[in-house]
Amino acid sequence: MNERIKKLIERTVKGEMWVEPVKTEYNRTDLFLSPIKMSAKRVCEYILNQELLILEESCFTGLMRFDGSVEGDIFSKSGHKNDDIAMQNFYNKPVDNLMTFEFQHSVGNFKKIINRGLAGIKDDIEKSKQAHKSDASALEFLQTQTDLCDSIIQRAHIGAKKAIEKATETEKQDYKENLIRLSNGLKKVPEQPAENFYEAVLSLYFCYPFIPDSIGLIDRYLYPFYKKDIMNGKLTEEKAKEYLQELFLMLQARINKASDRFYRGGESHFCIGGYLENGEDGFNELSKLIVESLMELPTWIPQISLRWTEKTPREVLKFMLDCERHDPNKRIAFVNDEPRLKGLMEYTGLSYEEAVNYTMMGCNELALPGGMVFGFDPFNIVRSVENAFYKRADDLINAHSFDEVYNIYEQELFADLWAAEKIGKGFQDIRRRDCNLVSNIFLEGPIENAKSCTQGGLTRYIPVGLPIGLSNVIDSLSITKQFVFDEKIITIRELIEALKNNWQGYEDLHSLILKKGNFFGNDDDCSNEVAKRLFASIGEWNNTENYLGKKWVFGNLIGYNEHHKFFGSALKATPDGRFAGDATNFGIGQSQGKDRNGLTALLNSVAKCDPEAVLTGPSVTNVLIDEKLIRDDDNFEKLVDLFQTYFQNGGTHFQLTYVSKEDLINAKKTPEEYKNLRVRVSGFSDYFIFLNDALQDEIITRTKHTQ
Amino acid sequence: MNKAIFFDIQRNSFVDGPGIRTTVFFKGCNLKCAWCHNPESQSAKPQMMFYKDKCTGCGKCKSVCPYHLEQCELCGKCTLYCPVDARMVCGKEHTVDEVLKEVLKDKAFYETSGGGVTFSGGECMLQIGFLAEILKKCKENGIHTAVDTAGHIPFESFEKILPYTDLFLYDIKIFDRQKHKQYVGVSNELILENLKKLFERKAKLWIRIPIIPDVNDSIEEIQKIKDFLKTIGTAEKIELLPYHVMGENKYRAIGKEPQIFKTPDAENMKRLKEILD
Repeated sequence: MNERIKKLIERTVKGEMWVEPVKTEYNRTDLFLSPIKMSAKRVCEYILNQELLILEESCFTGLMRFDGSVEGDIFSKSGHKNDDIAMQNFYNKPVDNLMTFEFQHSVGNFKKIINRGLAGIKDDIEKSKQAHKSDASALEFLQTQTDLCDSIIQRAHIGAKKAIEKATETEKQDYKENLIRLSNGLKKVPEQPAENFYEAVLSLYFCYPFIPDSIGLIDRYLYPFYKKDIMNGKLTEEKAKEYLQELFLMLQARINKASDRFYRGGESHFCIGGYLENGEDGFNELSKLIVESLMELPTWIPQISLRWTEKTPREVLKFMLDCERHDPNKRIAFVNDEPRLKGLMEYTGLSYEEAVNYTMMGCNELALPGGMVFGFDPFNIVRSVENAFYKRADDLINAHSFDEVYNIYEQELFADLWAAEKIGKGFQDIRRRDCNLVSNIFLEGPIENAKSCTQGGLTRYIPVGLPIGLSNVIDSLSITKQFVFDEKIITIRELIEALKNNWQGYEDLHSLILKKGNFFGNDDDCSNEVAKRLFASIGEWNNTENYLGKKWVFGNLIGYNEHHKFFGSALKATPDGRFAGDATNFGIGQSQGKDRNGLTALLNSVAKCDPEAVLTGPSVTNVLIDEKLIRDDDNFEKLVDLFQTYFQNGGTHFQLTYVSKEDLINAKKTPEEYKNLRVRVSGFSDYFIFLNDALQDEIITRTKHTQ
Repeated sequence: MNKAIFFDIQRNSFVDGPGIRTTVFFKGCNLKCAWCHNPESQSAKPQMMFYKDKCTGCGKCKSVCPYHLEQCELCGKCTLYCPVDARMVCGKEHTVDEVLKEVLKDKAFYETSGGGVTFSGGECMLQIGFLAEILKKCKENGIHTAVDTAGHIPFESFEKILPYTDLFLYDIKIFDRQKHKQYVGVSNELILENLKKLFERKAKLWIRIPIIPDVNDSIEEIQKIKDFLKTIGTAEKIELLPYHVMGENKYRAIGKEPQIFKTPDAENMKRLKEILD
């Protein structure tokens, strides 16, 4: 690593690369304009007013952020008044203990910006103006987009000037050359198409603040530039690494050091590898360089997922797992293209060629380039169990077989899915009342449809549902089947009585259930079959178009929040042995000590429960393993095989944490002694001591897999 | 139906042969190694294990026991209701098909990793009829098979399983005959003789030597084993297994006092390993 990058790392880690928003005064006569014209004018003024950070060591510039005085980018949604209202009313505040409001993720189509430039986008806007020439409001919207492009271009030209000034100040020849290159670069990109690797990265770097979420599949869209420049001798691997590292440092620097999110690896997630349009595996030499570049940085953001395919060589999986086990900041996770592409094509109507371009982002969401993830927000699927066992108790008591019990449950499940969809639509309706102007040019649809991405302009979106507590549902039904019908240990009436009494007076039964119960994750026929049946039911419900005009793909992550805790806090006791008020589970891997048959059993249960690929949305499988297992080289080889098999069997995701249970418990008690203990949570990594209570407890109760 | 008694079936084993394996532990052994870390494997009968240090004295076990703990038929009721898992019944009978079903569950993992099933114990070869049958069925299902044995068994038994065994994990505990008898309970003549015959029959072998400080951890001892092996054949691998005290509580749980040895230091383990390399 060269001195320049070392200096930038130092500044980034200290928080010195953070760019403070510059307060912008708007002329009050703006208010005379139409709302959209006023917003656009202010957005443009705001953008041009923001300082560009160009240091002696810089090869790139462009970082800025919105302060809430205008409707900013679509990810942060600062200044989006209706979104703020929804946040205040529904964020972490469930409606009917069924559903809460969440952030939505997006990924810019940076490939398009790099290859066509904003000039190309402006051409598209002009074409759209022609197509909508009799629609005044469409034309008004499109004009805002032309203005936005011009402001970004103008900002780049300001940067070009500033870079050349900086170049004259520096004594160091190589720094001078970098700054001259930056100046020349900004005169060209992002306005015009990039022609080499440096310009491509610069265009991406400069545009990122306008849709600051995932950078997407950089090993694909930067690859042609990389390959060409390497071949014609204009770029070395070392130089490419330097550029990538500066790009990654910007992603880290975008988060304020004062925020706990600075250390949380759940931002700016992107992917490498995965299927290409031609059906081949996309992991290339640039993918490898990207990972190596990131691993050299002592930062926490961004995080990477390897998209595994049946064609991914074992050596690639091994390389990634090896990087993962040596990465103190735990920035790597793993996803499987096989079930996911099936799910995306089946439920969201994407063609193979479209689906292969998905990327992971945020904690573990997914979107296509120029797309967003829309939908459901986290919903409490355990409520349907509660409804079945309490409200429908009389019906259950009359059931003669597990099939009859299941049918009653399924009715409640469907009722809650409909109810959740309705609430989700309500949230979406609130979001639509804002008109985002900043991020549309990076998305697919808004220009063509002459409508903001928040107001129905977007064509590329994936509708996602997030049922939280899936394993509580599977376990509750599996226990009912086993104890009431298969082994006839109790009657359903007794089970219902036990639940009503929150297990009080039924301690023996409770103990027996925990010890003998067929819980999910043990690879037993009972829980495996129930799991398959549940996913088939969800699939069956999901057979019509939703209000977004597509079907859902489901996932189960909770993001940064304690959804599992507050959903659980208002739930009565459930047949899986859960007491009233206890947190529910999230994800599908961690079985809270109820999986007793080892890691292969757990992974088999997870990989095989969903043959119809219903759960191929933002799905999380957390695996906690003994550190000794992963540090020893012989064992490590076996772990590579283990996870390869899990993916071959159909698992969608995994991420690893290795730490002893004792350390976790002690870390909760004496956090000052465990400042460096890093764990994977719900699709992101963080320092254990920074997590809230409910997330800490969830990790402590995960089953630890040893030898 | 052919049944045998087991004390555990462990999936996802990384330590009993190549790749990812399922290890099936038969119950019952004809040796009495002083350092045995699975003392519950020695008796071929089911037995109650009671971990006194875990017991809180809540009395739940007594209240559910049909005999109020004055007599035990190993019904296991007390184990189901003990809130701290202080009691368990060790030893369960399974049929060949039951074991096979369990083994087949991880077939995909064996295939990727070059793993398979390992039959261990106790001494799995004491239940030779069952062992031969399950090995045969595993082979019919395309599964790599390993037999972990201490070798104090008539060679006719080996004859029965040789066609279906891909690998033997074969223990040499102590080379000196007298010392062997002192610590293991029998002389090692038959064991070494069988090993020689296995080499002659071109069996694939991994030799495993438990390292017990002050018993067999000298350079001379390991050198002797090495020299002996040289005269009879080439093992695919020789593993040194350092003694550990993890079996200690299990002795007390079955009402025995453990004999405690020192834990081998890493330096010496390295030295001994160098001799074999």
